[in-house]
Formats: sequence, structure tokens, C-alpha cells
Amino acid sequence: MNELPVSPLAWVNGSDAPEKTAINLGFMALSDCASVVVAATQGFAQPYGLTLNLKRQASWANLRDKLVSGELDAAHSLYGLIYAVHLGIGGVNANDMAVLMGLNQNGQSINLSRELQALNVTSPEALDRHVHQSRARLTFAQTFPTGTHAMWLYYWLAAQGIHPLQDVDSVVVPPPQMVAHLQAGRIDGFCVGEPWSASAVNQNLGFTLATSQAIWPDHPEKVLGCTRAFVEQYPNTARALVMAILEASRFIEQSRENRQSTAQLLSAREYLDAPLDCIEPRLLGEYADGLGNRWQDPHALRFHNEGAVNLPYLSDGMWFMTQFRRWGLLREDPDYLGIARQVQQLELYRQAATAVGVASPDQDMRSSQLIDGKRWDGSDPAAYARSFQLHAMSDSSPLLASR
Amino acid sequence: MLRILLINDTAKKVGRLKAALMEAGFEVIDESGLTIDLPTRVETVRPDVILIDTESPSRDVMEQVVLVSRDQPRPIVMFTDEHDPDVMRHAIKSGVSAYIVEGIQAQRLQPILDVAMARFESDQALRAQLQARDQQLAERKRIELAKGLLMKMKDCNEEQAYTLMRRQAMSRQQKLIQVAEQIIAMSELLG
Repeated sequence: MNELPVSPLAWVNGSDAPEKTAINLGFMALSDCASVVVAATQGFAQPYGLTLNLKRQASWANLRDKLVSGELDAAHSLYGLIYAVHLGIGGVNANDMAVLMGLNQNGQSINLSRELQALNVTSPEALDRHVHQSRARLTFAQTFPTGTHAMWLYYWLAAQGIHPLQDVDSVVVPPPQMVAHLQAGRIDGFCVGEPWSASAVNQNLGFTLATSQAIWPDHPEKVLGCTRAFVEQYPNTARALVMAILEASRFIEQSRENRQSTAQLLSAREYLDAPLDCIEPRLLGEYADGLGNRWQDPHALRFHNEGAVNLPYLSDGMWFMTQFRRWGLLREDPDYLGIARQVQQLELYRQAATAVGVASPDQDMRSSQLIDGKRWDGSDPAAYARSFQLHAMSDSSPLLASR
Repeated sequence: MLRILLINDTAKKVGRLKAALMEAGFEVIDESGLTIDLPTRVETVRPDVILIDTESPSRDVMEQVVLVSRDQPRPIVMFTDEHDPDVMRHAIKSGVSAYIVEGIQAQRLQPILDVAMARFESDQALRAQLQARDQQLAERKRIELAKGLLMKMKDCNEEQAYTLMRRQAMSRQQKLIQVAEQIIAMSELLG
């Protein structure tokens, strides 16, 4: 088995040809898979001797199982999903995983039904009152138990004083089915990625109450994930893959025209299979919330931002572990920093970034302020996980609300 | 007798699988209802085994059922927990995912999986044929050729030529290689 090279020179001097040239690359039909689809279809990988075969998946669980079994080499993945597999939370045994790079930041949102709007529940305060005073129990949907949408939904509700596992019901619904369930009144709200929020607003079936970037401006979202075994066995392939996707990410953001044609590509049947008007506006940062408000969002879905999006910061990976701990998915504190160092492939990322002329700062952590005023900089994860008023850390509290 | 909950929400013909399992002597409950009700249905039906197409979007809902049940006396686990990885790999390849209630012996699961995998594998073979074949390395040369032609035609540099080709490809929901072929064909026509 090949050892990871310790410095860029180590592989420049040796052969950097990919050990494996055809890559099966998984993705889910979401706007934030763009850099993966553009890299694979627009000739970004050929110069490195790689052929990227795109494989659309019907569920996150299936994408995960295929990553673990090796049927997919790498995939557009929820940040939390990679860590859940690494930690052994959920339907598969623990398996060492790797985050090769960040694929995007921002661009998810929490949406409510028109029925709640009719009851004047159009603000966080009104929702808080409704949850605590009304007899009807609300049901919120997210996309995967350990996924980013569950974490954004829980974090946002808790920041409003609503306990996401006690005060409301939380269910999993596949993203393309969200709008239909909302329309049928089976759920009252949901947290999901695009184009499904814009789709609810465009069809006048719901409204956007909060964007995920309002919870955490420039938050980590999807990553390029694979198994640790893949990186160790094929380090040159992994590096070339990151280089190709980095260049595609940069290309998407090079101009408004490039973003627009990206939206057109994504709407095709084999990728998102969704109307252009549900994809393009929010990809350009043009938001309409369905309540009459329109704005140009300074923290809309981003794929590159000169590399700031793509560096797999240790603190980003650790944050998801703190939230697993907070909500009882982890029963004790993991070795936050040690695990993040294993999973986040910083060294390989920096080599790839340097090779394609993308800046990669020396810092392994970044500092952010979240919606509840708390600062997260990765310095004391165990204390951070324990610092929240609303949580599910005691063993006696319910793990997850079920219907 | 083992009770099997068969989740039926993809295009696969589960009807024949149901019949085959019943012939093999299992009690089969065919579930084609709403994904969102799955946790409640699992609770009501109390199956020993849940079979689901790996391509089903409801897999993510099962994930929640697994997590919710982990504190119960007989938790639901994905069968991979008790099986060797090869069986799991084979099953996933065949398009079968099975969740079992802990305490069911693995050997009792095997005949169920055999029937399900045999049924699904024929579908899988068909799907494999439909999957796009790997791109050829020759593509790169064709793209280079088209880029050179475009640079001459538009009097632009390499990067501008790539950008023009990519924008054209994406706006028409095509791959770069397709636009490259169009440029080459057009250039041959105009000679």
C-alpha cells in the first residue's frame, strides 16, 4: 500500500500519474453537485489522465453503502454522513473515511407550509409561540438522520428556543418528495438543499423562513468523500480528482454566464431533472422567500470563492461531531481533533491546490459566529458541545423523535 | 415463520419476488404506501426482515428507523452487521438491501436473500447494459483538435476557446466532447 507523500516535492520527483484512471463518482440530484457534474462532463479531468463516470444515486444511504463497498470511488456527500460512517453511527459498521475537499458552502433553507402562513406563522418568534402554545404538534422533515439538513434544522429550531427532538416531530423525507408532502399537509416544514426550496416557493406551496447561511454564514455543506482505503491505495488519483474538481469550481464562478450555463446543464434529465427557474436564480444568489421579500444574498451557494470553500478545515469536520454529541447521536465525546485529522485530507488538498494555482491558507481551523451568537473556532470541542441550553445529551432523553 | 416487509416503491417488479418468497414459505407483507409513514408501518407490522431495493429513495427513511430502534430490546440493523462484507457487496450489487431485527440468525436470512438477489439480478444486468460506457482517452485528442480549430476561427487564446466551448456545451446540456465533435464536423464541412 502506498504511503501518502509528505510534501509536494515527493510526488513531483516521482510519478504523479493516477494509479486508477476510471473513477465512479456518485452524486445526488441537488444544485450543489454542480462542480462534480461540470468537472466530469466539461473535460476537466482528461488532462490528468482521469475519466470520471457520473453515477446518480437515489438516496444518501445507497450512496454511503456504495462508497463503503467500493462500487463508488468518491462522491458528493453530506459532511455529516462521512463522519457518521467513520464513527459507526447508523446502518453500517464503522469504516475509515476521508474528506478530500469541500464542494460548497451555503444554499440550503428551512421552509414552512402555506397553512402556517395562514396562521401568521411567518417569523421565528411566531413559530416559537405556535409550537409552545398550540395543541397541534408540528412535523419537520430533513433528509438524513446524521446529515447537514438535520443539523441545520436542529440548530435553528434550538436557537429559537424550540427543542427539535421534544417540541416537534422530525422525519426523514427524500428531497424530491418534500414539496409533495408539504402540499398534502403531511409535513409542516422542511430543511433541504436546492432546487427543492425554490421549487416550493415557485409553486406557491410554501415559503422560505430561514436560509442555512443565516444560521452560519459560509457554513460547510457537501464534501468530496471517499474511504480512507481509497486515498491510501490511489493517492495520485485522489489528488488529480481534487485538481479537476477545483478547476471546475473555479470555472463555475468565473462569470455570470458560466453560472447560468451551469444551471442549464444541471437542469438536464440525467442530472437534476428540474426546471431551470428552480435552479438558476438561487445559484445566482437571487432569492425570493415567497412572502414578497426579494434579495441578493451575499452568502448564497458557493463552490470556490478562491479556494476558501474547498479547504477541508479541521474545525468544519469537528463541528459535525459536536452536534452529533449534542443531540445524543454520540454517547460520549470522541477524540474530536484526532478524528478530524484522520478524516480531513489537508495535506493532499494543499498539494492539489498548489498544483492548480489555488491559494490554500496555512491555518487548519477557521473561526465563525453562528446565529445564536456562539463562536466556533475548533479550540475546545467538548466544551462547545456541552455549552448549549437545548440538547439531548443525557442517556435518558430520546435519541430522535419518531412519529 | 419469518415475517418479511417488502418495500415496493421503485420500478422493479416486486410482485414476482413476493410470490417467490411466499412459495418459499415466508409471510410477506407488500408495502407500497407512503415513504413518510414507513417508521409507523414498521412499528405496526413488526417485521423480522425488511427488504428494500437499494435504489429506493426510502433507504434514508429506513436509516432513521435504524437509529430510533437502537435503544429498543430488539433493534433493527442492516443485515451487514452480522454478515461478511462479501455478502453485503454482492447484495448491494444485485440491488437488494435488507434490514433485520437483531436476534434473527443469519442463516435464516440467507434463503430470503438468495431469492431476492436472484430476482433482482436480472434487472441489474439490464441496467448495466444501459449504463454509459467509459469514456475513451481519444476524447482528449478530439477536444484538443476542436480547441485549435476554434482558436483559429475566433482568433482567441486557449483559455478563451475552452470557455466558449464549455459554455456552449453546458447551455445545451451536452458534454464538452459533443461540442468538440460539432466544431470538427462544421470545420470539415466548411473546409
